Amino acid sequence: MKRKFALYPGCIMSTEQYAYEISIRETLPLLDIELVDIDGFSCCGEPLKSVNQLMMLYLSARNLALAEKNKLDMFAPCAICHLALSECRYVLGSNPEMKGRINGMLAAEDLTYNGTGEIVHTVDLLHDRIGIEEIAKHVKKPLKDIKLATHYGCHAIRPKEIGRPVDSEHPMKMEAILSALGAETAEYPEKLDCCGGLLQINLDESALAKAGQKLKAVHEHGFDGLVDVCPWCHKMFDARQTKAGETVAAKLDLPVFYLTQLLGLAFGVKKEKLGLEFNLSPVDKIQIG
Amino acid sequence: MLGESYMRRIGVFVCHCGVNIAQNVDVDALTTYASTLDGVVVAKQYKYMCSDVGATLIKGSIKEHKLDGVVVAACSPRMHEHTFREVVNDGGVNPYQLEIVNIREQCSWIHSDRKKATEKAKFLVRSGVAKAKLLEPLQTSTLKVTPNALVIGGGIAGIQASLDLANDGFKVYLVEREPSIGGRMSQLDKTFPTLDCSSCILTPKMMEVANHQNIELFTYAEVADIEGSIGNYTVKVRKKPRYVDIDKCTGCGDCATACRLKDRIASEFDMGMGKRGAAYMPFPQAVPLKYTIDAEHCLFITRGKCGDKPACREACAQKAIDFDQKEEIVDLKVGAIVVATGYDLLNPESLYEYGYANSPDVITTLELERLISSSGPTKGEILRLSDQQEPKSVTFILCIGSRDETQCTWCCRIGCMSALKHVYLLREKLGDDVEINVCYTDIRSYGKGYEEFYRNVRGLKTNMFRGRPSEVCNMGDHQKIDVFDTTTNKLFEIKTDMVVLVPALVPRADAGDFARLLHLTLSGDGFFLEAHPKLRPMDTFVNGIFIAGCCQGPKDIQDTVSQASGAASRAATILSKEELEIDPLIAVVDEEVCTGCGICVEICPYEARILNEKTKIAEVNDALCTGCGACIAACPSNASIHRNFTKKQLLNMVDDII
Amino acid sequence: MSIVDLTSMGESQAELRKEINDRLSRLQEDVSDYCYQCAKCTSGCEAHKLLELEPHKIVALLKRGLIDEMVNSDIIWTCMSCFKCRERCPQKIAPVEILFALKNMAVASGKQIPGKYSTILQSVLSMGLIQDIQEVTMRDTKTKKRGDLDLPALSKPSDPAKFQAGLMKIAVEKL
Ligand SMILES: Cc1cc2nc3c(=O)[nH]c(=O)nc-3n(C[C@H](O)[C@H](O)[C@H](O)COP(=O)(O)OP(=O)(O)OC[C@H]3O[C@@H](n4cnc5c(N)ncnc54)[C@H](O)[C@@H]3O)c2cc1C
Ligand code: SF4
Ligand code: SF4
Ligand code: SF4
Ligand code: SF4
Repeated sequence: MKRKFALYPGCIMSTEQYAYEISIRETLPLLDIELVDIDGFSCCGEPLKSVNQLMMLYLSARNLALAEKNKLDMFAPCAICHLALSECRYVLGSNPEMKGRINGMLAAEDLTYNGTGEIVHTVDLLHDRIGIEEIAKHVKKPLKDIKLATHYGCHAIRPKEIGRPVDSEHPMKMEAILSALGAETAEYPEKLDCCGGLLQINLDESALAKAGQKLKAVHEHGFDGLVDVCPWCHKMFDARQTKAGETVAAKLDLPVFYLTQLLGLAFGVKKEKLGLEFNLSPVDKIQIG
Repeated sequence: MLGESYMRRIGVFVCHCGVNIAQNVDVDALTTYASTLDGVVVAKQYKYMCSDVGATLIKGSIKEHKLDGVVVAACSPRMHEHTFREVVNDGGVNPYQLEIVNIREQCSWIHSDRKKATEKAKFLVRSGVAKAKLLEPLQTSTLKVTPNALVIGGGIAGIQASLDLANDGFKVYLVEREPSIGGRMSQLDKTFPTLDCSSCILTPKMMEVANHQNIELFTYAEVADIEGSIGNYTVKVRKKPRYVDIDKCTGCGDCATACRLKDRIASEFDMGMGKRGAAYMPFPQAVPLKYTIDAEHCLFITRGKCGDKPACREACAQKAIDFDQKEEIVDLKVGAIVVATGYDLLNPESLYEYGYANSPDVITTLELERLISSSGPTKGEILRLSDQQEPKSVTFILCIGSRDETQCTWCCRIGCMSALKHVYLLREKLGDDVEINVCYTDIRSYGKGYEEFYRNVRGLKTNMFRGRPSEVCNMGDHQKIDVFDTTTNKLFEIKTDMVVLVPALVPRADAGDFARLLHLTLSGDGFFLEAHPKLRPMDTFVNGIFIAGCCQGPKDIQDTVSQASGAASRAATILSKEELEIDPLIAVVDEEVCTGCGICVEICPYEARILNEKTKIAEVNDALCTGCGACIAACPSNASIHRNFTKKQLLNMVDDII
Repeated sequence: MSIVDLTSMGESQAELRKEINDRLSRLQEDVSDYCYQCAKCTSGCEAHKLLELEPHKIVALLKRGLIDEMVNSDIIWTCMSCFKCRERCPQKIAPVEILFALKNMAVASGKQIPGKYSTILQSVLSMGLIQDIQEVTMRDTKTKKRGDLDLPALSKPSDPAKFQAGLMKIAVEKL
């Protein structure tokens, strides 16, 4: 059965992290997911939560309302967007007054937020909705002989209270997916550590140091690569890897992939169709297929 | 049966309760007001109505004014109803023709506006008088008491309660679920604060239980059903088959040596760290000193085949092994019950961040007890489970899941002291060179000798960090802990060989089911609820059933034993009587009106209702009925009546004030 | 009667605590009062080691009502919003949310917004997204833009004027 979702691209994926979007659009239809593009989406608001929380709630409600208007559930591949949307749903769900206030403002754009739609992220879409068995059926070129570290991203795992796509202390869904793709995974102590992503806005050096520490640890644990599911995290680990390495006095050359890129490779999709040329980390080190 | 009212001569007695009532209620005005009420022939006030002087005042007035109904306006009936019933009775009025009006808890204590509080008190007294005019004289009935006790759970609490009751001369049935009595205390090595060896002080008591002529011990047994009420309970005990005839078994252990699964099953007693066979005895000092065959694992039982013949049966010279044993139900008659089913430890996996699931070198305090114990899996050597090496550094983390709104809201009460004890014992065993760290939130050393013990431990080169780590990282050959220490305002990184978690104490996993079986109530935390936290700490809301030890809430051995002796003595007050009075304030059935629908039989939580097969009329078992009122509310034909809480009486109370 | 911090002469600002509570998007009435300073939040804080943020101290200062001290300090801008403190607090307090509220207060009181926050804010106000389409460099050092790829057009508010009007209302509205 075909399932339809509104693809909520968010700011970073759609304006610079093209590889994620390309690989999502390439792989998910193979699993009978139909992605619908809706015009008019805006930022989810999370990067502005520090400036004005109400603005965050408003922006998220606005995006959710747009999807609702189109009678579609939301697929938010960015962990930060997913958090903002989920928190908005949680707050408006438990605070009718706030909901009324936000809806009052949304009226200007002819929108209403009801809270009827669902919000999914890449990991739960693959693991819970599609299922490991179904994924395994599509594997044509198993990812043999590579050992991968996973990075879920703080915003995908916490806070449990508002409902997250994975367990907040012991997330294992990516591991299950990767193992269905034939790759090896392992636990490592820094698995839940932050990438520093949001700190880029005002304290870039520290943000890089955070990413550098984690990359260094992953490298030292002997992993062949790192897998993530958030454009902010990916930007830190992949695009900014060299700089991140400098902050911890390490020359890093760790391949970093989006989960959907590996999914495509294992499904036998051609490299070019998965945006792999956009990865700035040395993904060629890993021979797949 | 419940006659019409006639003109009553009622006296109203207003109590000041020192200033408790008088401060917020104008007692003069109230008394004057009461004297004007219809049916009231006298109204008086006094500072302490519950005192001797107050009693004399009431009794004198009864005589002088030929009273046949009394209203006392004072504190909650829970406090002094009993006292005043006796006073009224002494004065010559039926004790059930007394009505208490609560003008303290319901009035002076909760209102600050004196004028309004006085007005409210007037309303309350007025409706109390209205009810008193209709109160019926009632008589108590009696029932015979079975002078036997049942104790459920054979930990230190159950052992102490059994011994006390048995020494008082009562017959005691002690039912323990495990193959041996002893409970958690038998798993401990030494005990704080005096460091006496746990088995040295426990084993003699266990032996005393085994040999006491008044105690009949049922181990490997559980309560299956319970009927009856205070003074006369019938209890069904389910004896699980242990496949060993305990009359024949000498405890030689040949079966265990021969068992094909020897050393292949994780021992519960050793917290899964040691091994046992399917034929086993949990620990060497077990009482009874008999072997048990574990049906869950035994090859012969699970697969019908153990080699060509069951090895244990072949090895047993006493021919004690009997695979044909079946579950057995025993009926016991008892007059009172002490529940002492103890506690479990929180499984720290629910706080995944502390790494219990990730490394064998993160253990709990109870596991450490077994490692320290010379009868434990390492024979008392402190070894890491990952590599069997002695740790050079051990780190304790306190309050794991305790005082935690996401886990257990309460304090475990023994965690701090048990960890400090362990520090002491580890220092003793591992010498001065081992590094010992304790991450605590607050140290609670409230008991006698506890603070002194804490001071001693501080002197043992113990690194006390005041702060709670956020996670324990498994680094392979060691564990890494970051802890922010609020005494130095610094974040420390601790690399340590072994982490000991101090988990919360939680109710037994089956506490809820067990409570339902006995009609006990649970408190919010899931432990058994006492009838009053201060004044009736061993009583439950079911008359004749008492609680002792950690099943009521976490506590140390000292408090457990005190409470057990207390519970035994509460049980003895019942058992020592030949007959018990039954309170008449319970339900009755108006036979003329009852349609025999049977709704009350279903609704009664105490199984006090039956439908008479012949007459098709519902009946009340006076001994079981607690007067809870469920049947009264449920009866569709108004045939269920609560004595002295009749519809008429209650409506009269309401009518009079509206 | 008063309580004064003698190092800064700061006074307890109980009334501001109310504002913090109003600004917490997570519904919590004065929950910070329940903090018992176990410091589990700080032990695991992602920002602590690098930038010396002490979430338990933030909660303590809030409890004391020393709010100006925090609003005026750069330390509140060091949080990485990893949410670990909120996730693991045994008293269900969320220091991270308190930090968000403090930052919002700083902005509302006209303090300079650090780093690129103002750029982002400007961008969202004008086009709905935190940045416009970027030209990115690939591994082979060539560069590409969204338009060069086989991707649908960028989704953004179709009527920027209307969108802006809505947002501006919030920017001036007090919570
Ligand atoms: C690590 C650790 C160290 C400790 N050290 C000390 C110390 O040094 N000093 C100190 O004072 N205290 C110490 N304590 C506390 C001590 O263990 C308790 O105070 C004591 O064991 C409580 O005894 P109990 O009889 O109430 O419960 P338990 O010991 O739990 O006994 C209950 C018994 O009831 C049985 N049972 C349970 N359910 C049923 C059922 N449905 N039917 C029949 N039987 C049932 C159980 O099998 C068990 O035998 C320590 C606790 C821990 C966890
Ligand atoms: S061999 Fe027989 S007598 Fe000896 S312990 Fe086993 S059952 Fe008891
Ligand atoms: S006794 Fe100590 S370890 Fe246990 S909860 Fe209380 S403070 Fe924490
Ligand atoms: S973890 Fe919670 S209770 Fe502990 S110091 Fe931080 S805010 Fe306070
Ligand atoms: S959310 Fe902020 S304050 Fe909380 S732990 Fe993460 S970095 Fe520290």
